[in-house]
Amino acid sequence: MLLCEQLERRFGGPAGEVAALAGVSLRIDRGEFVVIKGPSGCGKSTLLLTMGGMQRPSRGNLLFLDQNLYEMPAARRNRVRSKHIGFVFQLFHLIPYLTVRENILAGLPPGDSSRLPLERVDDLMSELGLGHRALHKPGSLSAGERQRTALARALIKKPDVILADEPTGNLDPVNAAYVFRFLGEYHRSGGTVVVVTHGQDAAGYASRTLHMASGRLSADPPPPETSTTSGHDSTPTIAAKG
Amino acid sequence: MTWIQLLLREACHHWVNTLLGGFGLAIAVALLVAVQMTTEAAERETRRVMRDLGFNLRIIPRETDMDHFWDHGFSDQTMSEDTTRKLAAQHGSFLSFNHLTPTLEGRIQAGDRPVLLTGVGETLVGPGEAKQPMGLRIKPGQVILGSGVAARLKVKRGGLIRLGQRDFTVDRVLAESGTDDEVRIYGALADVQSLLGTPGRINEIKAVDCLCLTADQDPLGKLREILEKTLPEARVLQLRTMADARAKQRQSAERYSEFAVPLVLLVGAGWLALLTWLNVRERRVEIGLWRALGHSSSRIAALFLGKAVLLGLAGAAAGFALGTWIALEAGPGIFQVTAKSLSMDPTLLLWSMLLAPAFAALSTVLPTLGAVSQEPADTLRAD
Repeated sequence: MLLCEQLERRFGGPAGEVAALAGVSLRIDRGEFVVIKGPSGCGKSTLLLTMGGMQRPSRGNLLFLDQNLYEMPAARRNRVRSKHIGFVFQLFHLIPYLTVRENILAGLPPGDSSRLPLERVDDLMSELGLGHRALHKPGSLSAGERQRTALARALIKKPDVILADEPTGNLDPVNAAYVFRFLGEYHRSGGTVVVVTHGQDAAGYASRTLHMASGRLSADPPPPETSTTSGHDSTPTIAAKG
Repeated sequence: MTWIQLLLREACHHWVNTLLGGFGLAIAVALLVAVQMTTEAAERETRRVMRDLGFNLRIIPRETDMDHFWDHGFSDQTMSEDTTRKLAAQHGSFLSFNHLTPTLEGRIQAGDRPVLLTGVGETLVGPGEAKQPMGLRIKPGQVILGSGVAARLKVKRGGLIRLGQRDFTVDRVLAESGTDDEVRIYGALADVQSLLGTPGRINEIKAVDCLCLTADQDPLGKLREILEKTLPEARVLQLRTMADARAKQRQSAERYSEFAVPLVLLVGAGWLALLTWLNVRERRVEIGLWRALGHSSSRIAALFLGKAVLLGLAGAAAGFALGTWIALEAGPGIFQVTAKSLSMDPTLLLWSMLLAPAFAALSTVLPTLGAVSQEPADTLRAD
């Protein structure tokens, strides 16, 4: 489903160039639940955003459903993203002036909301414990409710893959468990999940766990002295199971 | 949710920004409407005041003895009455002057003393000029008396006065003016031609230089150029002080408009661009999110431009009402002579409704393009 080939992403800054991705190769198959772990600043969010077609790599290819995402025109990439990829962010990123229900509907590809059976939105809100909050705006929700709304927004279009960037980073343990339970259910129903996190709460759900340090991926956790700065080149890149 | 619903929902959510944007536009439109209305009022007022000042160009026969002219106040030579129509028929004549009035002046005995007698013919005005001519309108068989003559002859309005072999009805007596009008009698041109024994002749055309030309464009030179080609038998004199007053008044009104309009536009554009920039800055994450959700840059840009257009429409309507109210409230106190002609101008509403949204959208283009050209990841990453 997702194939990363030698992805590199460099950012310029006052202190010089930083390699957020230093040649990442990775394959994710349909139905996997992949957890990418690593310390802050190691490049895992950059990898996730690059996989989601939101951050053009400096070098390398990204194939999604056998199409090179960054070789297609921006409009087509938008369509692929809106139809096949669901995102969940650490900071929720809900539209502040829309209700819970409208925020969830905003996750549908542009123009698709009119074709959606309304029961599906209601069912999803009920499943996620948001039924009583349908007409509330994000400003009046708790952090857990906000993240569940973001999760519903990602799930509403039944995407091929959900990319979650630290989805529980701002949640208490109860809500964090709630979020992972739903991601797990989505995975069990055949969905593909990629979660970036530096916590341990995804351990029970992952079909594969990868570790990231200094812009590189490894199947094994890095040794304790691993630096998070660029230029670390001893960690081999890996390809996921086939 | 439709595009317009989304737009309105956002506008309500960021109501302070929306209100400030609409308020800024309304103020800009109000100032422009008020400036435009008062500028037009000032021009009307200027025309009216200048008209009341009287004629400032005198076209007389070329062969006039100037010593006699300055000594007696009129030319000793005459020219055909048709000269006025010939002059008016020249292409471009009314670019340099307007209100051509043929006159014939001379002296005649009234009672025991001579008085100045002036025959006033039909005034010709340029295309588009007000129909009401300047100066006096006198019916045949009637006269208008200067206050000195009336007092000496002891006649009042409606009375009779004998000139030559004819009796004339006194149409009215002029108020005391402190000029040689005190000892002047005005009559219809044909009557005066008959009294002075010069039928079909005039000895002066009175005119006003046009407000269309400024002093540096030399209205006198332009008029002399026209006369040289078409009426070599005539010459033109300009009452300099009055001409300068006209030019200064007109230039002052122009400078006011030239200063006020760009200033208002500049401040309005800057204000709106600043607000849009702040709005875009506040909504960077939202823009990134819409893009992450697959919405095209053009659709997102349309949200910002659409908001600007809506604000433009609302600002235009409110600004027009406010500007009109300001002009109608303040105008009559400033332009006392033409106060009654100040009124609401629907064409200004039309222009406001067309230009304010376009202007608002233009001010918004740059911040919007900057926002939608960003990678979504730039605003959505958490680390």
